[in-house]
Amino acid sequence: MPGIWIFAERKDLALELLTVAGALASQTGVKVTAVVPEQGGQTDTYIAGGADEIVLLSPLGEDMSLDVWLPVIAAETKGADPDIFLVAATARGKDFAARLAARLDTGLCSNCIALHREEDGTIVMERLAYGGAAVQQLNCSARPAMATIPPRTFTPAPADHGRSGIIRKLPLPPSSPVRVIEKKTKERGSQDITEAKTVICVGRGIEKQEDINTARQLADLVGGGIGCTRPISEELHWLPDDLCIGLSGVQVKPDLYLGLGVSGQIQHVTGIRGARVICAVNKDENAPIFQAADLGIVGDLYEVTPKLIEELKKAMGR
Amino acid sequence: MPNIIACFKWVIDEAYIRKGPSGALDFSAVDYKISDYDRNAIEEAARLKGLHGGSVTVLTVGAPEAAKGVKDALSRGADQAFFAGDPSFNRLESSQTAAILGEIIRSRIPYDLVICGEGSSDEYAQQVGPRLAEMLGIPCISYVQKLTIGEGGRILAERRVEEGVEVVEAPLPVLATVLPEINTPRIPGVKDTLMASKKPVVNIKKEELPAVGAARLRTMGMTATRMERNCEKFAATPEGIARFVAALQKMGVIS
Repeated sequence: MPGIWIFAERKDLALELLTVAGALASQTGVKVTAVVPEQGGQTDTYIAGGADEIVLLSPLGEDMSLDVWLPVIAAETKGADPDIFLVAATARGKDFAARLAARLDTGLCSNCIALHREEDGTIVMERLAYGGAAVQQLNCSARPAMATIPPRTFTPAPADHGRSGIIRKLPLPPSSPVRVIEKKTKERGSQDITEAKTVICVGRGIEKQEDINTARQLADLVGGGIGCTRPISEELHWLPDDLCIGLSGVQVKPDLYLGLGVSGQIQHVTGIRGARVICAVNKDENAPIFQAADLGIVGDLYEVTPKLIEELKKAMGR
Repeated sequence: MPNIIACFKWVIDEAYIRKGPSGALDFSAVDYKISDYDRNAIEEAARLKGLHGGSVTVLTVGAPEAAKGVKDALSRGADQAFFAGDPSFNRLESSQTAAILGEIIRSRIPYDLVICGEGSSDEYAQQVGPRLAEMLGIPCISYVQKLTIGEGGRILAERRVEEGVEVVEAPLPVLATVLPEINTPRIPGVKDTLMASKKPVVNIKKEELPAVGAARLRTMGMTATRMERNCEKFAATPEGIARFVAALQKMGVIS
């Protein structure tokens, strides 16, 4: 039966998927089904956001992992035979989608950043490949066409309170062999880097951990957050992993991104594509970051940054 | 003592891909490597063997040229390798790769633990690990930053999720996909490379495997990413920096 299914662990992500589902559904008039965990009184939000049917997953027991739902959702999907199944690309979501695709013997476009339906009905899904150097367009030859969609790729669906929908609740399946024994919530930094309007990013050009303080001064001055490239968090452990910007880290969309001593490897640049203005300071004039930047200063960051702070203070009247 | 399999992919080193004039990708000057996070997978297998004994088998499917990668993998602490090389295995899709790996493991390699990188550095689809677990019918623990083999053949894993860390436990056999922060892969020395050439490699021909199913995804196009940026450069002089700041103001990104 034609239809579009979505699955997301969180409400905000479900609403983002409903935006895509709604756009596809409006072209063909098919129904949208949202598979979501039961989190108390959110069904109205999903219906207003464009869902015609809600499949509610009963809350998981404390030690249960998401994969208990795999057999159930695989059976539900086979029964309904939708055209498309979109999954929010959280860590658990990506794992879940790949295993569901294996069970349904279908294709999955990972980290899909755009999708549309051609006039002949072909679904074209786009994703980045080669660390972000290329855009790959894919089409799925089996049903359903599956895609995982990274958080914040689309805006949340607007609410239309005049809509109606049906709600179906699935009972909790038995436990799986994987038991969750502890959940450690990370200590959030003072600012969420993905929400920051300005991001000052430090790269391998920084020689000592304490030199990040200069970058921090700059960030404080312009009201921004600090981010870093993978070597800074992964190899040197100078900053936490959740500040690592790139394809396999966080993707940021600030108004201003300024890279200090960032060389501009493609994986990192992919994480900043959405920035409105990209700036860089690097002493190597051939560093790839300059090709990805709107404005660049060719010079030693240790000489440039203090001068830049002074000049910014003047310009900002501080 | 656990028998551990580490899977890896021999990929184009993306640092060598150039952009052609009309947005096409230029692969003329490329070099190859073991996919970045698969090096962490092999290292983790070797690390666990160091603690618990047992064996490490490296496994790959790919073009015949990936034989070079097999030797590289063997120089990283593995005992033996299984390699399914065929020209038609060059650009497999995740579902096909997982099916072939699954078939080889099921029919030829006794195992307790399978380790994969969380994603490959060329396509980064992050699917082969979870799909392979499904093929083998074993639990999958993905995005792991710490792996411990505990008492009674249970595995304890810290997986990184959006909210923080989820610590999970499962009975072996298990498949785990690992994040780069789990360890620092070794850089093989001359001795490691010499020893690698003496280690056993089981070559599997395409004809010895069941027919590979059709790709579920078709690539309709592949173009270089466009980054339309101004690429304006300023000198590190007082005047240059002043002009840089003026440009930022004009763009309305500082106030």
